[in-house]
Amino acid sequence: MSSVIREIWLLGRNRAALAALVLLAVFAAAGVAIGLANVARDSAMIERMLAGQPAEEQAVASFVKDAGYGAYYGFQPVWDPPSDLAFAALGNRDIAPAILRVRSLSLEAQLYENESANPELSLAGRFDLVFITIYIAPLVLIALLHDLWSGEREAGRLFMLSALPRARRRLWSVRIAVRIADVLAALLIPFAVGAVLAGTALPRALAFGGLITLACLFWSVVILLVARRGASSVVNAATLASIWFALTLVIPAATNLVINAAVPVPDGAALARENREFVHGAWDRPREQTMDAFLALYPQHAVGSALPPTFHYKWYFAFQHLGDVHVARQSQAYRDGIAGRAAYARAAGWVLPPAGIAQAMTALAGTDVTAPLEFQQRIRAYHTRLREYYYDYLFSERPFDVQILADVPRFDPADGSGAGAE
Amino acid sequence: MNRSLIIAAAELRLMLRSRLALVGVVTLLLLSAIAAVTSAVQMTEAARARAQAQTETDEQFEAQPDRHPHRMVHYGTYALRPVGPLAAFDPGVDSFTGTVLFLEGHRQNSATFGAARESSDLLRFGQLTPAFVLQTLAPLLLIFLGFATVARERERGSLRALAAHGASAGSIVGGKALALGLVALLALTPALVALGWAALRQPHEAGVALVIALAYAGYLAAWVLGIVALSAIARTSQGALIALIAAWALIVVLVPRAAAGWAGVADPLPSRVDTELAIAADLRRIGDSHNPNDPHFAAFKANLLKQYGVTRTEDLPFNYRGRLAQEGERITSQLFKDYAARADAIRARQSGWLAWAGVLSPALSVRNASMVGAATDLTTHTAFMNAAEAYRFDLVQRLNGLQATAVSGADDNARSKDPLADRRTRISADFWKTMPRFDFAAPSASARMAAMLPSLALLALWIVLALGGLALAARRMGRLGA
Repeated sequence: MSSVIREIWLLGRNRAALAALVLLAVFAAAGVAIGLANVARDSAMIERMLAGQPAEEQAVASFVKDAGYGAYYGFQPVWDPPSDLAFAALGNRDIAPAILRVRSLSLEAQLYENESANPELSLAGRFDLVFITIYIAPLVLIALLHDLWSGEREAGRLFMLSALPRARRRLWSVRIAVRIADVLAALLIPFAVGAVLAGTALPRALAFGGLITLACLFWSVVILLVARRGASSVVNAATLASIWFALTLVIPAATNLVINAAVPVPDGAALARENREFVHGAWDRPREQTMDAFLALYPQHAVGSALPPTFHYKWYFAFQHLGDVHVARQSQAYRDGIAGRAAYARAAGWVLPPAGIAQAMTALAGTDVTAPLEFQQRIRAYHTRLREYYYDYLFSERPFDVQILADVPRFDPADGSGAGAE
Repeated sequence: MNRSLIIAAAELRLMLRSRLALVGVVTLLLLSAIAAVTSAVQMTEAARARAQAQTETDEQFEAQPDRHPHRMVHYGTYALRPVGPLAAFDPGVDSFTGTVLFLEGHRQNSATFGAARESSDLLRFGQLTPAFVLQTLAPLLLIFLGFATVARERERGSLRALAAHGASAGSIVGGKALALGLVALLALTPALVALGWAALRQPHEAGVALVIALAYAGYLAAWVLGIVALSAIARTSQGALIALIAAWALIVVLVPRAAAGWAGVADPLPSRVDTELAIAADLRRIGDSHNPNDPHFAAFKANLLKQYGVTRTEDLPFNYRGRLAQEGERITSQLFKDYAARADAIRARQSGWLAWAGVLSPALSVRNASMVGAATDLTTHTAFMNAAEAYRFDLVQRLNGLQATAVSGADDNARSKDPLADRRTRISADFWKTMPRFDFAAPSASARMAAMLPSLALLALWIVLALGGLALAARRMGRLGA
């Protein structure tokens, strides 16, 4: 015990080390604070959308005279609430929208909308606990541990210290443990406070804390391996900084280039245009063609499918849906492309621990690049329920009642991703 | 001065003999070359794809069959943001914005499909571009090559020997800075070649490319001066290295992210849905075209009737529905414009905070100067969005105008009940060919150069600060007798 206290005291007397640790704790706390503020902003944004919905529905109900009109103007909110770990790993929530309003028209024309964010803020990268853990903590560990042996040797004490009885256990192990523990404390204490404030489920908080610890342990092992080799302090520091910048800056960026070149993602603009061509082309196609194709998918509506000679929403919503069906394969390929890139990046994470741990953190927090794809699948499932609800009224030709608008299925963010619209 | 040259030459010889220094320089040159080539290939491909998509969408629009003009309002068109002239050097925010904007009547959409949402999470670790290499990696190389430049001499006691030979402290740090500066120039080369190549193919961009090159030269010069100063002040080379890496981490990595994180929270943007709901509420207040008794549209109708001295809309010399559509579009578009201006102002303020954070981090200043110069910054994206919105409004009003003049009011009124009247409301496909095509030109090179000035001034401030630091270090060395 006394050796632990001695090491803490020694570290406390080293002004540079103390400053590095205090700064790390301050940055981690700032990261948590900015993370919590971002989550609060997201939650407030969702609240505002839901609070504004009744007025919208009331306004629509005041002029709508039939179910088709109601479906046309009936935008419904869908949202992806921030998880209880999003505060620690903000991930891609700045570039992928967390909220959207959809209606029963072709979904492919609605699904890819973006949020109005400032791209210059996204360009810099997020300032959150993932960033502090992956970028900053390793540098502090390097500063604290790179001259563990070489520093004593250069001060002329190494021989004497090593000659102490049980030096390994009483001196070096304790010194290493105290320094790593200090870095971990600087990260984990702000995280724990954030987790309590965010109401994070304990197992999830422990898992995330485990990832933070894993990142620190990985770097500690690397640093100690280099520090043991017997080179001078300055060579150790330069070597470790080079390893850090290769693993954290250069190789991830180069890997991204390689993955993007190796896994093509189909052109989204072409997908959107193809969808539009099909949907609007329906106005110039024989209406029977549209209805036949639609009834092949929805045979239960054959009974009420006869069209009047003039416009009817039955036909309108039929071709809207067929527009989605028309590009379903392209849309799947688009999704597969993004998911494929994410899968390669996860695989690369096994040989690039900093990138691997960062991805594990965002995946745990539900803020990684595949999270928006899953959100899109939940939107698809909901959109299917919404439009099928209106089909029932359109094809049965039941007399319109304004209550129909109030009884529409509502989105539930807790619903698992069901089958897509296709 | 002469002595400085001798010291610089000695320093360079030492670097040439050091395997570590050579590996570092070769690695950076290699990375820089890879970045320049891949970025050029990617951006050329993106430019080709977007230009082709724009042509295809224009051709599709013009090839539409006979239709009711309102169908074309909904059919709409797409605007693709062209790739900036120097985007291969610095793609800036290109990946983080949508690149395709759907333009239709009644609605204002967002730009969709950008690289950031289509790449793995690794993209957020940084993109290997010439600009990234110069902003982030080059200073680190200079730190590795330069941290010991003076400290090493002090540790070995050779500073005294140099002084004994009559070398002043000023000529020592000057020579060391000169040597490191030459390395910085070498590190700049591949990126400068890339920039020069872009300027060669687009001569009107040559001036702005030169200013960008000067900005990077100034940025690296500030690093060179700062590194030599710190190496001269530090007691040990180890201390110098740790301090310099800490400074690098703060300036290049931490401050830009912290400033961005703070700006986003301190001055938050309304969400798209916030804006949609606010516009819907405003529309209900100003004029609701669904409501037959709406005061605004009732007054609009009464005014038209009075102006033409008729009592029924059927007697107007044009199709009233077309004019009504124009009035509706005018009101909604004005709201789109107002709300977009507010959001633009917030985004500009946020970016303004980032620019001010350049006081803490020259990396932010050089990044900003580079993006502005390459026309890949927020301002250019905003200009694109606003140009596309202006085009959308013009296109929709032309189509609404066609509904007023080329579609008979009687047919238009009867079309939902009478299939034959509906047939007659479809006007000739030739009209679609008369619509102008969307064309967006990035801000002019001179406008961009002017916009770079604040960042350049901040960079100049940093050079002055670093020079001051170096002078102080030299004075201290002189006082201590080296």
